[in-house]
Amino acid sequence: MADGNENWTCGKCGAALEKKKTVFSYLGRSFTHDVDVCPVCGAVRIPRELAEGRMAEVEEQLEDK
Amino acid sequence: MNPGKTESVCPVCLRRIPAERVPRGEDIHLEKTCPEHGFFSAVVWRGGSGAEFGKWRSYVPQETGVPSGCPGSCGLCENHLNKTCCALVEITRRCDLRCPVCFAESGGGGREPGVGELFEIFKKLADAGNTFVQLSGGEPAVRDDLPEIIAAARRAGCKTVQLNSNGIRLGREPEFARALSEAGLSFVFLQFDGMSDDTYAKLRNIRLITEKLKAIEVCDRFNLGVTLVPTLVPGVNDGEIGDIIDFAVKRSPAVRGVHFQPISYFGRYPAPPGDGDRITLPEVLRAVETQTGGKFKIRDFNPSSCDHPCCGFHGDFVVLPRGKIMKLTKKYNPDACCADDAHLKNRSFVARRWTRPVIGADADTSAPPGEKSDYCDMSAFLSRVKSHGFTISAMAFQDAWTLDLERLRRCSLHVSDGASVTPFCARYITKAAPTP
Repeated sequence: MADGNENWTCGKCGAALEKKKTVFSYLGRSFTHDVDVCPVCGAVRIPRELAEGRMAEVEEQLEDK
Repeated sequence: MNPGKTESVCPVCLRRIPAERVPRGEDIHLEKTCPEHGFFSAVVWRGGSGAEFGKWRSYVPQETGVPSGCPGSCGLCENHLNKTCCALVEITRRCDLRCPVCFAESGGGGREPGVGELFEIFKKLADAGNTFVQLSGGEPAVRDDLPEIIAAARRAGCKTVQLNSNGIRLGREPEFARALSEAGLSFVFLQFDGMSDDTYAKLRNIRLITEKLKAIEVCDRFNLGVTLVPTLVPGVNDGEIGDIIDFAVKRSPAVRGVHFQPISYFGRYPAPPGDGDRITLPEVLRAVETQTGGKFKIRDFNPSSCDHPCCGFHGDFVVLPRGKIMKLTKKYNPDACCADDAHLKNRSFVARRWTRPVIGADADTSAPPGEKSDYCDMSAFLSRVKSHGFTISAMAFQDAWTLDLERLRRCSLHVSDGASVTPFCARYITKAAPTP
């Protein structure tokens, strides 16, 4: 993937990524979130703030005692 | 080593004696003989059906030998196997009730530690990493300086401050509850034995349901989470388990969960117990399933990881609109049992479920609204789990008849008086009361 400010393109296909609701299977549950997806090959870009933000929060909330 | 063999104490003289966990039909009894006072047997586990004693016990890492001072000279020593999850600090012996059953034998007077003295206890705990304290008694709310005590715990570095209370003063004096909230109280563990006045009349010698409902209403007003804590007594309120859970779900998010405590016989109680006076953990689990019509099932619960697995269980849920339940409890990981960080995980879990989020802190305008949401959207899920997280849990305390030293050595609920830190059941164990 290549960075062009906010406009990401797929490193493999060269297509511009599109924002799309995507299903994540995570810690035994399924979640949806809008992320950038390559319309050609389906590769998904997980931005750092999502990984370290909401996904980390979900992980914390689902952690058993 | 025979897995059934353990050690206990004589209920009459508290001398340490060999004991054995013996199958009796589908039940497990703890049996022992004191050379002076004879044979004792007490049921500790009734039936199975998804909560089999052998399976739950097998999660504990194998240990051999119990140190010679245990439990008679107990204060945590290097031989204790689990770390402190939660430290209980008694701030008074006084109580505004005179319950026929009371583990702490409350109701007397005596000297009370001042705020400065309590600050030193909190500081010592916090400096050692024990940042989760329970204020207990007696009834802590009889102290007019309770807000200052809570503030002192916070100032000392305690991140989570729990109040164990009968709720009477909280309900009657909303301004007092407000002061507790503003001082930094995290949540309230509310003595809540059932939905009917008769239950309170039997267990507490007074009709209290109106006071209990009022306490919940007032705590809700000041954003203080409330966890209901029923003491379960066979023949008194063991038929109300489902009703209590239904009520708690309806009062979510003000009510954060239900924490059942099967009755144990230490401190003050009417008479030495027979087996009919006991209700064991698997019975509580079965009652949760049957009395809620299967809304909560046995498989939704796991044994405790930060105490001995035969000391408690918990289930993790989210209350959705219209009282629907999302189940979060994951498959039990036996490796997590008694792991080195189990106390930290438990501390974090209960703090985030039982504390209500600061109002407005989780407002997320991108989250889909209310009733039709499937909560698959990450933002919607996070918002709901924080606001409406809900737990059902239980802890089975051990008395002089049921004390199993293997379990005691795994205790993570400890009582601190500044000088020593002692596992809960070792601190409160008492010799058998004389038969009236």
